[in-house]
Amino acid sequence: MSRFVRKAPSVCTDRPLNNSDVSTKLRSLKQLLTSCLGPTGRLKHVQNNIGGHVVTTSSSSVLLTSVTSSQPIIDLISSSILHHVSRFSDCGLFAAVLCLSLIQEAKQSGVSRQVNKHLLSLCTSYLQHEHCGCRVPVDLSSTQDLITLSLSVVSSKPACVLTEAEALHVSRLAVRAFLLTVPCGGPGPVTLGRTLSVGVEGASVLHSEVFPGLLVEVRDVFCLRTAETLRSDPLRVVLFSTSLAGDLCELGDGIIQVHPGVDTDSQILDQLLELCECVIRDGVKLFVCQKVVHPVLQQYLRRHGVMVMERVGLSLMEPLALLTGALPVATLHATIPAKAYGTVKEVSVKEFGSKTMLHLEPAGESAICTMTLCHRNETMLSELKVVCQQTEHVLRLTLKEPSALLGGGCTETHLAAHIRHQSVQEVAESASALGCSQTEYLLGVEGFCRSLEAVAAALHHDGGDSFMDLTHAHHWTRPADAMTENMEDNSALCCGCGMVQSGPTVDMKWTHLNTEHPEFSPAALLKDRAVQPRVLDSFTAKLNALQVAVETANLVLDVRFVIQDTN
Amino acid sequence: MMLPVAQLPHLEHVLQTVSVLESVVLSSFGPEGGQVLFTRDTGQAMLSRSGTKILTALRLENPLARMIVASVLNHSTVTGDGSKTFILLLASLLRMIHATACKEPNVSHTYNPRKAAVASTARHLAKRLLEFALEDLDDLIAVGVVPYGCCLPREDFTLKTRPPKSIPCVQKLLASFFHSRLGQTHCDFFSHLTCELLDNWKLKNDHPSVALQFINDNLPTLHTPVSGFPISCSRLIEGQVIHRDFATSCIRSDKPPVAAVILTGCLQPTLLRAGEVLELGCGDQQTAENSRKERSIVQFSAWAEKSLECAIANLQSVGVSVILSAVKQSAAVLALAAQAKICIVECVSEDELSLFAHLSGAKPVADCWMIEPDNIATLTFCRPILLGAHRYVHVAFHDSDKRPVVKPCSLIICGAGEGQTDQYACALHDAIRMLLSTWEPTGMTASKRTLQCNKSKSSIAEKQIPNSTSSQRCLSMPGCVVPAGGIFEFLLHHALLQHGHSCSASDETDMDILAVSQLLANALLSVPRQIYSHSPRCFLQTQTRLLRLVQSHSQRSGFADKLEQDTVLKECEDTSECTLDEGYRACIYIKILTCHQRRLCLTQASSPSAVNTICF
Repeated sequence: MSRFVRKAPSVCTDRPLNNSDVSTKLRSLKQLLTSCLGPTGRLKHVQNNIGGHVVTTSSSSVLLTSVTSSQPIIDLISSSILHHVSRFSDCGLFAAVLCLSLIQEAKQSGVSRQVNKHLLSLCTSYLQHEHCGCRVPVDLSSTQDLITLSLSVVSSKPACVLTEAEALHVSRLAVRAFLLTVPCGGPGPVTLGRTLSVGVEGASVLHSEVFPGLLVEVRDVFCLRTAETLRSDPLRVVLFSTSLAGDLCELGDGIIQVHPGVDTDSQILDQLLELCECVIRDGVKLFVCQKVVHPVLQQYLRRHGVMVMERVGLSLMEPLALLTGALPVATLHATIPAKAYGTVKEVSVKEFGSKTMLHLEPAGESAICTMTLCHRNETMLSELKVVCQQTEHVLRLTLKEPSALLGGGCTETHLAAHIRHQSVQEVAESASALGCSQTEYLLGVEGFCRSLEAVAAALHHDGGDSFMDLTHAHHWTRPADAMTENMEDNSALCCGCGMVQSGPTVDMKWTHLNTEHPEFSPAALLKDRAVQPRVLDSFTAKLNALQVAVETANLVLDVRFVIQDTN
Repeated sequence: MMLPVAQLPHLEHVLQTVSVLESVVLSSFGPEGGQVLFTRDTGQAMLSRSGTKILTALRLENPLARMIVASVLNHSTVTGDGSKTFILLLASLLRMIHATACKEPNVSHTYNPRKAAVASTARHLAKRLLEFALEDLDDLIAVGVVPYGCCLPREDFTLKTRPPKSIPCVQKLLASFFHSRLGQTHCDFFSHLTCELLDNWKLKNDHPSVALQFINDNLPTLHTPVSGFPISCSRLIEGQVIHRDFATSCIRSDKPPVAAVILTGCLQPTLLRAGEVLELGCGDQQTAENSRKERSIVQFSAWAEKSLECAIANLQSVGVSVILSAVKQSAAVLALAAQAKICIVECVSEDELSLFAHLSGAKPVADCWMIEPDNIATLTFCRPILLGAHRYVHVAFHDSDKRPVVKPCSLIICGAGEGQTDQYACALHDAIRMLLSTWEPTGMTASKRTLQCNKSKSSIAEKQIPNSTSSQRCLSMPGCVVPAGGIFEFLLHHALLQHGHSCSASDETDMDILAVSQLLANALLSVPRQIYSHSPRCFLQTQTRLLRLVQSHSQRSGFADKLEQDTVLKECEDTSECTLDEGYRACIYIKILTCHQRRLCLTQASSPSAVNTICF
């Protein structure tokens, strides 16, 4: 049905950032996202307007996809952040909050976008510099740093509702799963394997496990019964990617004339039985088919002690091929070459709550593993699954660039202090290079650093105050119920990332975040410290988030006119 | 149903409409201009600073405005630039004409006749303006502007090495173009990237425009947009990216070269074509007295499978390890190919296949039984590449003497979102088109002529055809560029005034030329006025500096004192917006005038049906 529909003219808005409606929306979006940031972030219920399924979450990817706005500027920001999250799986809220506060700051001060871009390049070059004070190398030979990294990701998602012990257990599992997917092959390009996850509802989180190989859910009783009888080692496997139901093959558009009395169905079935015979003769013990297997064939195979798994689906075919080393077969007449067969070491039956699973263990080295995740209810379980995928992604990014940034807001405050210091040092050159006055430039620097510090301060939601020490420029918090007003009087505190500790022996000064203080060059931490950081963020993800946030903020500040298509 | 009778387009209404368009376009004009955000009808947010994009996004209803937008589109499909200037100049010209017409002394003071008189004076002026533009403007540009421009050096496009460390002229041109398209923050990075792309795509012993034309035609397949990364991650990569994934799990053979074939048909033979009949019998029961064999379905499909196996074996025997297929292959083909260690890439688009064929020198083949040596492409590698969310196939070509291109490469354009990558890609395409029109002015005049022939029924447009020889004469100098920052408008303004005075001095009777050239000259200044809208002082400074240059220049010959001229022009460039090539500017004037002429005809049209015919 095609009908010419008259197109309505578009709606235009001049200078959208000065529009009060847009400003209000930007502000409320910022409030919404800020309240979700960090391990103590507040959860949000998301429900559509016809009263559908309720999702409880604090993650940027879910929140931003459900925030649909009539304002294209909001759409522009959220699509940028969502694209970042889909590439890096981390630091989405950081990017969003930073971007929104940069927009607010720049709108107030009215500085040119060139300043922001210049400051961004200062940030990226500092972060990549070898003397950077907030970057730590990740030691891939020990699991300590990797566990800290994944614990930071897991604990930043409060919607999983994990206790401390549970969070540690899950992050250990994530690291174990990650290590299992890294093949120990020789030199040359390495292809990482895959982690599949299976959710089990109702069990305790601490019962979650990681298995090398594949866990396939089976409902077929016969299949399970044969599984117990399989004892040879290793087991030969054949993998069919075509249907074995006995249907006619693709012939084309021609006409088929069948002579009376000819039973093509039984002819085809006979032929398939011949194929099975051949498979049995080759010593196959596990017969896997992506599609349907004819019941007669199944019975025939089972009688000969072969286990049949049918309808495994396309998504499992690739991991199965990787696990067993088999090449999928799609021909029914040709003899199956020996190299098309694969092997598994063992098949065993495992029970998880209500689920019965078949565990296929790889014969040799294989980069496939399965994670069974348990949680109390469905919502938390789905959030936990997402978190585990994100953790895996973050760990993979670390493999490419083995470094991490200090978490807990320390990177932000340290970076802000560094930028303040450096730009005051080079104010004359920078200002003339950017073609603005020195005051303008310093105003821009102040706005940029304040936005960075605002992200650090946003990590706390319980009414505590944010501080920064004047030596390392790390981020500190004083709980709301603290007895004294001054940071100096509190003994034995620890900064956000856990690298700096205060005590009676350490001479340290603090200042409230976002207050006037003399600029200083933040000192890097000593390299050979016994103290391990407690919170680490992915370096690659955070660097990209920083770049995307500044770039998006610049774009939004550059928008002069909005044309909305109302069709 | 009766059509609503529209109010007759009066000159004032015309002016009003154009002013509205102008105010929209101005928000993104000049060095201080910003982005325009618009939503597609799908709800996707897109960004642009391109005049054409903005104007089309408006979805105008006013027939007059739609006609103007249509002429802007025609203009910019040829030049790739200048659409905002088009609207600006049009508005300014109309204002000038209106003002002049109202001032005319022979206008009587009674209301209705006065209106008619204004309209007729305006119409007369516009007609003279068009005639002037068609006859004299090109010569004026050739004399008054071209000597102050410079030529894009051919070395920037050919294989000859240029002096190291100097920024190529093309890069400057591109930088100012991207400044007006992407904003100040990204213009340097992107112009550098584009220059690198051009460097890699230089053709052996060919005119620069051939290479540019090739990039222009193949840009959609040559670039891959990747969202989620900052723009600084954009880069060039060797070879070609085929925007499909391997259909079979890729078995990596590390030893080059890799042999590949382009297959346009299905590998699995069609067993039964339409109209053919397959007779099925009982199979092995073969009756001796009846020599006809009765085959069963099983035997038939076994035969089909066997033939497929032979086809794969044949491919294996010629050493092919990669098949780029235009169509989807059957599951049996994929399984057999995997067993034979042949990788298959399915459903590759036609454009990508033709580019691959062009770069590798291999001819596509429809049937795998007809493979000859010249159907086989040799690649240095063929591997999966992960770009953003997608996995693609990345191929690099083996060096060969047959290939016309020195270093084929593809461009990866990164941006924070799809709106941004799209904007970058469009800007790049327009930049290539702009360079192409700088090199090929003759082609442009030809297309312009056809456009006008097709479009307009007004007698003026037809009259213009014999005149086009003069425009060809002027524009036949390829690669001429004028420094940015309204220099072109200042120079032409000056030349027009001079011309007007000399004409009126020599011929007392022809006052029209004086009036017309003054009108055009004043209208022109509106463009630099907008460029320097943030500081009017700059506008005056640039103008005086240029006037001084022109006066000192007039005593000497054309290109002699290049050095001094360069220094002055460089000073101008400091405050400049964009370097614009001269060729298409001339085109703007001519096109604007025709458009304008038609609009004035509209004012005279007395019935709504006439308005409708002209508008559609």
